[in-house]
Amino acid sequence: MTQDLKKTKIWKSIFRHDFSDTPRTRLQRVFGNVFLHLHPVRVPKDAIRIVYTWGLGGLSFYLFLVLSVTGILLMFYYRPTTIHAYQDIKDLAFVVTLGGWLRNMHRWAAHLMVVIVILHMVRVFLTGAYKPPREYNWVVGVILLVMTLFLSYTGYLLPWDQLALWAVTVGAQMAANSPMVGSEGPFQLPFITPGNDAKFFLVGGTIISDNALLRFYVLHCVAVPFLFLIFLSVHLWRVRKDTFSRQTGEKVDVWPHLVSRELLAALLATVVLFVWSLVVQAPLEGQANPNVTPNPSKAPWYFLGLQELLVYFDPWIAGVVLPTVIIVGLMAIPYLDLNPKGVGVYPRMERRKLGPLPIWYPAERPFAVTVFLFGILLWFALIFIGYYCRGPNWEWYWPGASWSHRHLSKLTLKNLPNLWGGLLLAGYALQGVPMPKRAKDRIAGRLGPRAPEALSGALHIGSGLLMSAALFIPLLTAPDPDDPLRSHHATLFAALGRATNAPLVSACYRLVERVGPAMGFTLIGLLAATMGAMLGWLSARCAALKDRLYDDLGSVKYAIVIALLLMMLGVLGKIALRLLCGIKYVISLPAFNFNI
Amino acid sequence: MDRDLAASSLPVPCAGRQTGTWAWLEERFSRRDALLKIGWAFFYVFLGGWLLSNLRYLFPNVLYEPSLIFKAGKPEDYPLGVSEKWKKAQRAWIVRTPEGFYCLWARCTHLGCTPNWFEAEGRFKCPCHGSNFSVQGDVLAGPAPKPLWRCRMALAADGQIVVDKGRLENRPDRRDQGDFLLHA
Repeated sequence: MTQDLKKTKIWKSIFRHDFSDTPRTRLQRVFGNVFLHLHPVRVPKDAIRIVYTWGLGGLSFYLFLVLSVTGILLMFYYRPTTIHAYQDIKDLAFVVTLGGWLRNMHRWAAHLMVVIVILHMVRVFLTGAYKPPREYNWVVGVILLVMTLFLSYTGYLLPWDQLALWAVTVGAQMAANSPMVGSEGPFQLPFITPGNDAKFFLVGGTIISDNALLRFYVLHCVAVPFLFLIFLSVHLWRVRKDTFSRQTGEKVDVWPHLVSRELLAALLATVVLFVWSLVVQAPLEGQANPNVTPNPSKAPWYFLGLQELLVYFDPWIAGVVLPTVIIVGLMAIPYLDLNPKGVGVYPRMERRKLGPLPIWYPAERPFAVTVFLFGILLWFALIFIGYYCRGPNWEWYWPGASWSHRHLSKLTLKNLPNLWGGLLLAGYALQGVPMPKRAKDRIAGRLGPRAPEALSGALHIGSGLLMSAALFIPLLTAPDPDDPLRSHHATLFAALGRATNAPLVSACYRLVERVGPAMGFTLIGLLAATMGAMLGWLSARCAALKDRLYDDLGSVKYAIVIALLLMMLGVLGKIALRLLCGIKYVISLPAFNFNI
Repeated sequence: MDRDLAASSLPVPCAGRQTGTWAWLEERFSRRDALLKIGWAFFYVFLGGWLLSNLRYLFPNVLYEPSLIFKAGKPEDYPLGVSEKWKKAQRAWIVRTPEGFYCLWARCTHLGCTPNWFEAEGRFKCPCHGSNFSVQGDVLAGPAPKPLWRCRMALAADGQIVVDKGRLENRPDRRDQGDFLLHA
């Protein structure tokens, strides 16, 4: 019967070859099939080893397919209007057969896709797969990452619950704070008003309501997936054209070696999603109320890092400038990293000693791997703080501590005087200045062979001391500008020392109270000097690396790299200043909304 | 070497200044070239205009949004202090002080969440990024860049307070006078 069927004209018109397992059909299956022909016919054996790729790129694509299918099914029951949306989601959860399960699957697949896409990026970075000739495909990959996040953001509004509304309110308000095109941002133009600015464009009105819901629905279901598919095609096409990063091992047929792995990965992901969606319900809060914000109001986990960042800087800096710098910085990586080593292998880790500590040191790409992983860790540290350490009124609660809405607390934050803040930043920027080889030679020629090293060490320790002085002198001596209208304390030291949210300053304050001013201030001065010297010593330890980087990259690329690095570490520094010393802004120029 | 320098820094001598420029122009842009460039220029202008018009299409002309003006009852309904009566319905606090009434719009000037009033601390605290405001609306802590907005108030003919959330003021010298402070 089957044999007869295979002889019919119709069968033969659809399937152009037979399915016996011969070398010929193995090839025909790949290039005779529109869905498989993006694959090469044969690939190097090592390029498709699971422990090399972990199947992350393929999984991202599969999750995109799962999201498309579940999304299309959900669209049959969903109306994007403020009166219907929430009820439709409730109906999906409780009335429609398998509706809740489909919604769970859509939600969890979206979360999983964000994780997998980030892991895919980390994998590609670690194996150096972005190096020539694959630089451009890395850029396309970063665009796809941004689109994945934007799809999550637009999808978030659709259930029209409290979580949705407030996450989107905050996100849309960042648009209103962008320079020039926002009505509340810096460099305002006279004709930009709340009635025609970037936020108005995004949400189609002055408040988040029906227009916004419809816009986000169209963006989420049609516009962004359409763009996503275009970039995805380019991404996959370029993988083919730019060849795989790992070329070792004999070549094997894609059918069955790669196709079977893809099938297995997809099956595994499907099982995980099935179980996850059966066991865990996608959250749905109360219906959106534009007048009442839940307390605390937290964004989905992948935006919590951004939300936490917004606590420390002016909205346009944290919400517009820093994300742009992060995205452009990621895109720039292949053009800044000129080191040709480490393509197609995970970094080889050498065990070394840093003083008494054993460390694992990526020998071939020490700088690139360390900085990138540090950036990823920093981002997830911010997410951790936002997720576990923030409670009602976005106040600090240690993980596990119980939240109390009636817990009495008076957050006290003070700006550093701008002059001191500027000095602090200048000292910080000085840490990034290299000593090029030519300058070293000239100094060595004039002052002796040991002079460049001594001078560089002195400069680093000097700038460390400068930073420490620029922090402690105003903290101990500056008057409180809010006194007497909004503060009962005459100096910053007294105001922050009596606050509950500046542990370092209050420890100093208590020290002075206990041992008397002469002894106390001497001890604090010693502490400040030690901190500054240690900071300087640390950066002096990195001086040789910096100088080598400068000689390798040239001045322009070096400036970009060091600026990105200093910004990244600066975020960490600012967080420490805020959480330990209660410093609101290091520099505050309200006229330009320049608050950092 | 001297001759090289002279040749590179001085204009090439030619028959007449005008004909020289003309010849240079003719050589730089031939007639065919110029027509082609003009054609492409029109194409790009058309394309740009089309894209811009689509952008303009995305800015709605008519909005169906709730009115920003509401009536908040009679002045004698309010005791001294912060009243949360209108927060859920109108997103505003009416504050009564010995001098009079003012109305704070319950929208954080940072990123637009609704703060909550904490009587014990005498502060408004925002749940999204932790900004704190005083009862006057001034920023006490957190990332908010500006004081809370105050709304314009007036007394209607029927003796009720009318609040207009479309007219806002938060400058310390202006907000305590005129339409933004209703005398008791």
